[in-house]
Amino acid sequence: MVEKIEDSLKICTVCASNNNRSMESHKQLRDAGFDVQSFGTGSAVRLPGPSIDKPNVYEFGTPYEEIYQDLTSQDCRKMYESNGLIHMIDRNRHIKKAPEKWHENVYAGKFDLVITCEERCFDSVLDDLMVRMVSNPIADNEVRKAVHVINVDIKDDNENAIIGGRGILKLVKMIHEFRREEMKRLKEVNGDKYVGEHDIILEDNIMKILVNWQKDHTHLQTLYGVSYY
Amino acid sequence: MSSIITQLEQAKSLAFSNKSTFPQVLSQVLKLSTNPDIEVQKWCAKFFKDSFTSSNDVLGITDKIDLAIDALDSLLFLLEVKNLEIFKDSVETAIVVYKLVFKYVVENDGCKDVWVKLNQIIQNLLSKYKSSFPLDHIDEESDLRRAIDCKIELMKFIVLVIDYGSPNQPQSNSNGNGKKKLVIRNQFNLDDVPSNHTLIIPSVLEKQSYNHLDVILSVFNQDILVTPLITASLSHLSVIVSKKSSHFISKILNTLESYDTQRKNQSNYETVEEFKLSRKYIDRSLKVFFSYVLRNQLAPTPQMSQWINKKLNLLISRGDEIRKKNILAPSSQDSNIKKRKFEGGFVNVSKKLKTADYKNLYSLQDPSNELNNFDLTTLPQHILISMTLNSLNKVSVERLTKALNIIVDRYKNTLNDPKFQRQAAKKGGDNWIKNEYGDENDEDDDDDDEDDDDADREGSNEDDYSETVFTLPPPKELSFEEKKSHVNIIIKNFFRLSEKPVNDGGANVDPIAESDKTGVDSELTRIAIKSWKKDSWLILLTRLATRGMRGVDGDEEGGDFKQNENISNIIRKALFDHFLDNIHSRIDLIIEWLSEEWYSEKVFNEDKLIEELREKHSNDEAKVQQELSQATIPTPLYNDWTGKVLDAMIPFLEPNDRKIFIRLLSDLPYLNGELVDRIKSLCFDPVRSKIGFLSLQFLIMYRPPVKDACIGILEELSKSDQEDLREESEKLLKKYKPETVA
Repeated sequence: MVEKIEDSLKICTVCASNNNRSMESHKQLRDAGFDVQSFGTGSAVRLPGPSIDKPNVYEFGTPYEEIYQDLTSQDCRKMYESNGLIHMIDRNRHIKKAPEKWHENVYAGKFDLVITCEERCFDSVLDDLMVRMVSNPIADNEVRKAVHVINVDIKDDNENAIIGGRGILKLVKMIHEFRREEMKRLKEVNGDKYVGEHDIILEDNIMKILVNWQKDHTHLQTLYGVSYY
Repeated sequence: MSSIITQLEQAKSLAFSNKSTFPQVLSQVLKLSTNPDIEVQKWCAKFFKDSFTSSNDVLGITDKIDLAIDALDSLLFLLEVKNLEIFKDSVETAIVVYKLVFKYVVENDGCKDVWVKLNQIIQNLLSKYKSSFPLDHIDEESDLRRAIDCKIELMKFIVLVIDYGSPNQPQSNSNGNGKKKLVIRNQFNLDDVPSNHTLIIPSVLEKQSYNHLDVILSVFNQDILVTPLITASLSHLSVIVSKKSSHFISKILNTLESYDTQRKNQSNYETVEEFKLSRKYIDRSLKVFFSYVLRNQLAPTPQMSQWINKKLNLLISRGDEIRKKNILAPSSQDSNIKKRKFEGGFVNVSKKLKTADYKNLYSLQDPSNELNNFDLTTLPQHILISMTLNSLNKVSVERLTKALNIIVDRYKNTLNDPKFQRQAAKKGGDNWIKNEYGDENDEDDDDDDEDDDDADREGSNEDDYSETVFTLPPPKELSFEEKKSHVNIIIKNFFRLSEKPVNDGGANVDPIAESDKTGVDSELTRIAIKSWKKDSWLILLTRLATRGMRGVDGDEEGGDFKQNENISNIIRKALFDHFLDNIHSRIDLIIEWLSEEWYSEKVFNEDKLIEELREKHSNDEAKVQQELSQATIPTPLYNDWTGKVLDAMIPFLEPNDRKIFIRLLSDLPYLNGELVDRIKSLCFDPVRSKIGFLSLQFLIMYRPPVKDACIGILEELSKSDQEDLREESEKLLKKYKPETVA
């Protein structure tokens, strides 16, 4: 059993179908003890089929178990095994029940950090958050929450999902460590002694963290923005 | 945990478990918020936030409204406390309180006090958005880039005020193209306020809101990129462009039309990599925003849609271009990036040390700057001294004072920090900042009857540190032998230095231009070495020999003068020997040295002569000048050393050294017959006689003062018994003094 990080940020990973990239990084982050969920921004879950123009399409919410059964019962089962599809769904069904759609995730609560795995998904998340701000009025006792959205561009295949997942884990760790340090220092100092410091506030340093991470991950391109729920 | 906080915790759990006692507890805690203990204030701020944002099942809405009104004073107080946690919690509370109180005022016309206080909070928070509150002010640029989390919170409040303070646009049911229409749901609409309300006058509020929008938009007018803030602003602006009337939308879009990340500057507080990433990130958020505006047909005019479309395409192609490359890799376009003008702050102004050592105490640079790892102790001491003196010469008094004040604060903070005191006691190493005052204080406590002076100095509290005067012991006079050995060390160091590679990067462009602005006398900034170059050591060494050792009083008979002259000659000999080691590559060096030698000697002797003439003519300046213009200023030292150089050089000249020798003759500042006479020996040597004659010819043509001397040599040679000599010299004489040959 993995030990949970008590002061973890509330994180979610997002890709198009909530199967490969977001699920791989979901797994890696979960295994490291972080509080993580995952979503897809596509209109439906699209998985490779017998040919490029015949994908397997499922509704978001279809349990991985069902998808697994469906794929293993098809004639192309051997092909799905050799291209890693079966393995992927098998992994997914041990992580959570079903792929979830980003646009309908109000039930999941608000995240501190959203990590998307493709520029299209990044745009979709930012756009959706704008729509939500306009369309979902909040009650008088509610306050909107700021959310950091980071895109780490990952090619949609098995191997790259693993490499990308490692990169995401490293980035989350860097942000987490910084925030932990910030909390510690805020606790340490009483009153106004920290005034004038450059390096205690996460938001003041997020760009530096991203640059440092990017230096070691030049093949994983990034985007970043702040939005609100 | 202090007892008061323990009690507060108990009260809190009581409140959250019992709806009926909550109002009572909260109103009691409101009174406590002005408690001077920062921990209590922190606790209160957090409790207020938790209370007002709790669901109405925990604390009833009627009670919440009453308590929100009561909370205005506490909020005004807490929003002034310079503490990150208190400020952020209080801004969240202010957001809920604003919504509750605004609606209360709408329904209860006449409660002017409440309305005034609410507006006070608005003004208070608007002004803080432009500062680095609750962090200290450093300089404008740094303030823009700090306390961003607070600004992200504040933005929510300001956008809320704009939203409540301006009417919403009526929505059309269809946007005509059959696409899914953006659903807008409002929390509140200014149009719902009764038209005869005496406090809330919609037109006034709308105008104010329109002005508040400038505060949000200010981030786009800055010349640097503050990525989290800009992207957060774009997210919030989507609310305004979706709901508000066209003059609000136009204002926003007009600002964004002229906005271009390519025209912004790199901040002094960020690396070029950070700047490049920022541009990419912001461009993408802009793209998302513009797509949102177009998709929902929010642009008030077709012209606006047109330029948004254009801009969108530009941003997309820019993004595609960047994606192809490694954005962090240096590129040729990096040279187009301009840095914002530095206002003269320091990058690292932290007044608290993370590690209590001298390196951290004095460093004002970015802690991640690699220069911090350079070990200055590897440089010879005299270089350090000259660097320090140069820097002190150039720095403005204001800037130095500012820097020293930061260091004083750090010192004080560290000495007062019990954590560091313990560490220092444990480590006790040299690098640890010594508690020169604190330790002795302890002793004073035990023995109050210490010596008075000591008690005055050491017993004083930290505020008096700056008054302590430290005097170095007077230097001991060196004996001549000691001076000689030191000069030898200096010379040795210089020559060692001359072999070291020097980075002639030329980063240090024009220190003079900068110091001029600070009002420092320009004479002070006129210096021989503006930046250390490969041959800078030569300037220092020749000046030391010529000017540095000359007695100020000019007493030529005194023992000091002779001793100094002696030391000068040691340096000259060293330079001379250095030259002899490699005549061919060090000709520049020798010219520079002899030029300096001649110049300083001439200036010195001229001054001496003027003095004498003034005495002779009893200060009649006209006579002095007249006689001075006729006088020849002797330069015996120069003549002597130039002679030595020529004597040493001539025997070693090779037939193909023609160029360097003529170069020397051409560049030496002064020549006379005696010096030129040395060329004669060259002419006698059959192998090198060509150089000799060529030199004489050159001097006749280009150095008229020695023309006669050279002709004299030729005449002498023309009487020689060697035929080739005779022939060659007669040829030249025929050309330059035909009458002698004829």
